[in-house]
Order: sequence, then structure tokens, then C-alpha cells
Amino acid sequence: MDCPEVRLTLLDHQRARLAPEADAEILAHLEGCASCREADAVERALTEVLEARLPQYPASLALKRRLAARWPAPVEDRRAIRMRRWWLPAAALGLTLLVVALVAYARIVPRPAPVTAMVAEAVNDHLRGLDGRRPVEITSREIHQVKPWFAGRLDFAPRVAFAGDDEFPLRGAAVEYFLDRKAAVFLYGRRLHTISVLVFRADDLPWPTTALTPLGGAHAYVTVARGFNVILWRQGELGYAAISDLDAAELSQLATRLARER
Amino acid sequence: MDTRDEPAPALGRQALAYADTLHNLARYLTGNEADADDLVQETYARALAAAARFTPGSNLKAWLFRILRNTFISGYRRRRHDPTVGGLDTVDPAVAPPDSAGWLRDDLELDRLRKIVAEDIERALMTLSEDARTVILLDLEGLTEVEVAEVVGCAVGTVKSRLARARAALRQRLRDYAR
Repeated sequence: MDCPEVRLTLLDHQRARLAPEADAEILAHLEGCASCREADAVERALTEVLEARLPQYPASLALKRRLAARWPAPVEDRRAIRMRRWWLPAAALGLTLLVVALVAYARIVPRPAPVTAMVAEAVNDHLRGLDGRRPVEITSREIHQVKPWFAGRLDFAPRVAFAGDDEFPLRGAAVEYFLDRKAAVFLYGRRLHTISVLVFRADDLPWPTTALTPLGGAHAYVTVARGFNVILWRQGELGYAAISDLDAAELSQLATRLARER
Repeated sequence: MDTRDEPAPALGRQALAYADTLHNLARYLTGNEADADDLVQETYARALAAAARFTPGSNLKAWLFRILRNTFISGYRRRRHDPTVGGLDTVDPAVAPPDSAGWLRDDLELDRLRKIVAEDIERALMTLSEDARTVILLDLEGLTEVEVAEVVGCAVGTVKSRLARARAALRQRLRDYAR
């Protein structure tokens, strides 16, 4: 296999699409050809940059709803309808018994504090970013590029007092849902750790009023959930949540910078 | 009603799962959000109309991409106000062949490439022809060269060389931003 052939096959090699024999041939060629090794490194670097930083434009929720509305839902088959005739009364009876049992249970067992729901949602939002279900929609270290990007995507202007620095560089942002409302997600880094900072409308949420810690110009609720450190606070009309597996003291440093008086 | 007469609904559930990835390609073809939304809607409308012709077991994602691209070519592009740079079938012929990566010959240049910001990458990609953008994005989506060939309607060998030239062209554009 000569150099031009190898160059044309490098992407197949990098994407593991070649048969073992052809792949071995490429590897042998790369071993002895510095020029093709450089080309291989360049292609890998380009792929890496595109995968990590090329902005992605997923369909909006509104568009998805429009598409789903146009494409008809599956029609139940006759067997399902016949089954439903028999099972519906039985299911209704079962459901009634279940509701009675749940009501009794709710009276006996104390409900978790409402703030637990906020903490759980904050951790879920953070996890959705980590596992790729919510991609980074704008990748930038510049707060002045990131903040304008939210225009038209939120029903409020997300205010952040900290633009990122060498210790906590800003990495990008996205839009996410926090409980019943939209949230701006700012992503900061600290060494290899990712920190999600959610900014959302604070109204009508069960904010904790006790066990609060002073934080910059605010008072914060600091907790741990599923191994993640979580800090919640509100400033004016906006609520903030910082979530990370980062050490609690370091996460607090970032939160303090975010919560400083403006 | 017999479900055997209705392939569309079941297909629809699967097809809707590709809305994000289709919209991404549409956005890079049209250059703006509103037109991308229209293109994706038109694509799904055509897919729904043609659902009976879809062969179960074949590649639904590639089928949808092909409909989107054909929709873009056949009707959408003619209605656009702003013509796209470049043609549909070629990468800019002025672009050097794929082995001319001289500007990236050392670690410093690779390091510069890695520091390019998202906006510059997008801007560089948008300067390429629609076909070049399409093959680069479909490759990033994980489609094989056979699947890309099915989408763009050409031979696998053509896709291979077109992709190599498109990536070379993109590298060349990025050089300006990397300096």
C-alpha cells in the first residue's frame, strides 16, 4: 500500500472500519512512514476538534412537538381493544386500591422536604450534561459570546457575576429544563472536573429557609446528593444551582464568585 | 383497522428520534434556524408520504438524510434568498489535495488547531460547498462511506475522495483562524 492509498484510507482506519488485514497493512505503513504518521495525527486532531467544538443545533422542543403532531400516533390493534374491554374494570379497581394505599402511606411516612426535589433535579440536569443527553450547545470561554447566545432561548436574562478565569474556566453553555421552567446552564471546568451552574427563575420554588450558609452576597443551601456536591441559592428574581463532583470547598469558591454582589 | 396497513405510525416513532441530528445538518445547509426548521418539517412530511416505500430493516437514518438532502436540493435552495457559497458536487477546486497538510506539520500547529474556538470552526465549515459540508457532517454523525454514498447518491469511491478533499479544504480554512 503506497502513501496516496494510505492517506485515502486513514479515516477508515481511525473509525475501525477496515478488515483486520487491511488495518494491519496501514499500521505497518504508518510505522515506517513519518509523513503518513503526521497526516494521521492531523486527521485525528481535526476529528477531535470537530467532535468537541463544532456547535450542534438540535431541533427545538417546539419543532419536535410539531413533527410529532403531524406524524400520527400508532393505532391500537383489535386485540388490544378487546383486551382493554376486559381489563379496564379490573385495572380501575386495582388503581383505586393503590390510591387508598398510597394515601395511607403518605399519612404515615413523612414526605421528603420539598428542597429535595430541587436538589434531585439539579443533579439530574448535571448528569444529563455529563452523559451527553444534553449536549453543550455553545462552546466558548468568552462570557460575552455565551450570554448573548441565550437571547431568544429563555424567558429571562441569566445574570452571572463571574466570567471564568484560569482556575475555573468557562467551557460553554446550554439550555435545560429545571423542574417546570427553562434554565441557562453555564459549564465551568476545574482541572478535569465539570461544574454545571444552572440559572433559572426563582419564583414559586420551595427555597429552604433554614440551615443556610453565607455565600458572597447571598445565603446558600449546601448539600450532597448521590455523591455530588450541590449548592443552591437565590439572588433577586433568579435562582442558582452549582453541581459537581468537585471537592465541596472548591465548589464553594466558584459559587462565592458567582454570588458576589453586583 | 389492521396495523399491517399502517407502516407510517410505527416508523414515525423511530423517525422522530432523528429530529436532532437531521436539524443539525439542516442548520448547516441552510445557515439559519428558521429555514432549518422548515427543511426538517418538509423532510418529515415527505418521509411520511413515502413511508410505505421504506424497506423495513434498511437504514432509516440514512433514508431520512437522503430525503432531507433531496428536499434541500430540489425545492428549498431555489427559494432561498441568499445563495450558498460553492456548488453541490464539488469541493473548491482551488483547495490543495489532502496530503498538503504542511501547515500542520509540527506539534505547535496541532496545538493551534486544538485552540480554535467553536465560532471559527462553524464559520470555516460554512465557507465550504454544501456537498463538502454534508459529507463532513455525515461522517461525524457516524455514517459509513456506504451510507454516505446512499445519501448523496454517488459511488463509495467518490465519497471517499470527496470527504478527503472536504476535510483538507476545512483544514486549510481553519489555518487562517489558527494563526
